[in-house]
Amino acid sequence: MRDTGGMTPQITLREAVVEFTADAYLETSLKTTLLGLPWRRRTSPRTIQALRQISLEIRGSERVGLVGPNGAGKTTLLKVMAGIYPPQRGQVHVEGRVCPLFEFATGFEMEATGWDNIRTRALLLGMSAREIQEKISEIASFSGLGEFLDVPVRCYSSGMLLRLAFATSTAVEPEILLLDEVMAAGDASFIHRARTRMDAMMERARIVVFATHVLDMLPKMCERTIWLDHGRIVLDGPTADVVSAYLDEVERRRD
Amino acid sequence: MLGVGWILVQLVLTILAVGVVYGNLLGQDLRTFLPFLTVGLVVWAFLTAAIVEGGQALVASEGYIKQIGLPIHVYILRFFVSVSVTAAINLAAYALVAAIYRVPLGWGVLWAIPGFALLALTGLFLVTIFAHVNTRFRDATHLAGVALQVLFYVTPVIWPAAMLRDRRLAWIVDANPLYHLLEIIRQPLLSSRPATVENYVVGLAFAAVLGVFAAVIVASYSRRIVYLL
Repeated sequence: MRDTGGMTPQITLREAVVEFTADAYLETSLKTTLLGLPWRRRTSPRTIQALRQISLEIRGSERVGLVGPNGAGKTTLLKVMAGIYPPQRGQVHVEGRVCPLFEFATGFEMEATGWDNIRTRALLLGMSAREIQEKISEIASFSGLGEFLDVPVRCYSSGMLLRLAFATSTAVEPEILLLDEVMAAGDASFIHRARTRMDAMMERARIVVFATHVLDMLPKMCERTIWLDHGRIVLDGPTADVVSAYLDEVERRRD
Repeated sequence: MLGVGWILVQLVLTILAVGVVYGNLLGQDLRTFLPFLTVGLVVWAFLTAAIVEGGQALVASEGYIKQIGLPIHVYILRFFVSVSVTAAINLAAYALVAAIYRVPLGWGVLWAIPGFALLALTGLFLVTIFAHVNTRFRDATHLAGVALQVLFYVTPVIWPAAMLRDRRLAWIVDANPLYHLLEIIRQPLLSSRPATVENYVVGLAFAAVLGVFAAVIVASYSRRIVYLL
């Protein structure tokens, strides 16, 4: 994939702007569009500014936290870094093999077995066929799904799907690890094992950027934190400072 | 393996049903009509799948596209390969039919190779175009499916083109690029001869037009397609 060949992984954004067109206003039927029904009231599509001119630089071996209220743009920013959303304006430059861990609820071949889903996901995450061969039994055993792996995943519960996706995605050797609140589900024992595995993965990665609402964990995990609100960077600095400023603001808004 | 089996069962049933009914209806000799019919149906099934299944390439990959920043063509190629593998299996079934009915075989059959290449290219362009268009307009492949059904009746797949020519309706056949594409594969396989120059020219021109269209769509929409999912 995007192997740097020994170069220092880094992420650079320059005045990156991301806008979404609100789905509800976009006509998705070709029939209606071609017929153009003139008596229908036309509404111009509304755009939502998800990121407004974000500039930042992450290099070397930094661990960066992202905080902010829902809808602040944390996930969008991570997806820009992952190369999923190309910004409408501004530049993004990422060097290093990116491993995105966003949500584990989608990205399955429902008719395929657990084994095949491990292979598909691993391939798409940039693992080579050989790497998969080497790791697949470890992935399978971590997932704890046992004989269920022989069954099409449409028969899985959401917890089982999560285990499968998590086990596969965390087997990647990342240079840049992007995390988005991934620790939300699974039973108690799995959460504990997942925590350990995630920590090990974060150790292996050179750069880690993660969005979270669990603020008391942050100072232990990262030295730098970025506070986002309404698609803008409010504050970017040492975790302790940013978190206390953010908490003050949350407190102030409550009053 | 049962999955592969089903592809063949479906093809064999269609050939038998259409072959016996239409072969007799049109007064055809079944020994030449069944191989003719098989090639036509295999090619037609490939084109239909490229549009209808290939059209889902990006919509069905939404879960991956929104999670992993891979280039969009990965998902398009993935669907193209799956559609092509099905077609290859169907072609194996043709080989069986050809053997049973002793279709004469000469070196000229190698003319089918450029034919397959052109067909594959056409299929790839169709998957690319419909995968993108269908992401923007979710009813695009449905409409294309309806259009294909109409086209199926005016394209010489289950009836020989010569029958229309005899009735002075040759233009219906000649104006249809799909007919020329079919001939480019059918002639070498059935008679070990190349198709006509006209067939090749129209077939190439058709693929070229689709290719340009696909290239324009990729250049202008591929990178932004994630915003439409």
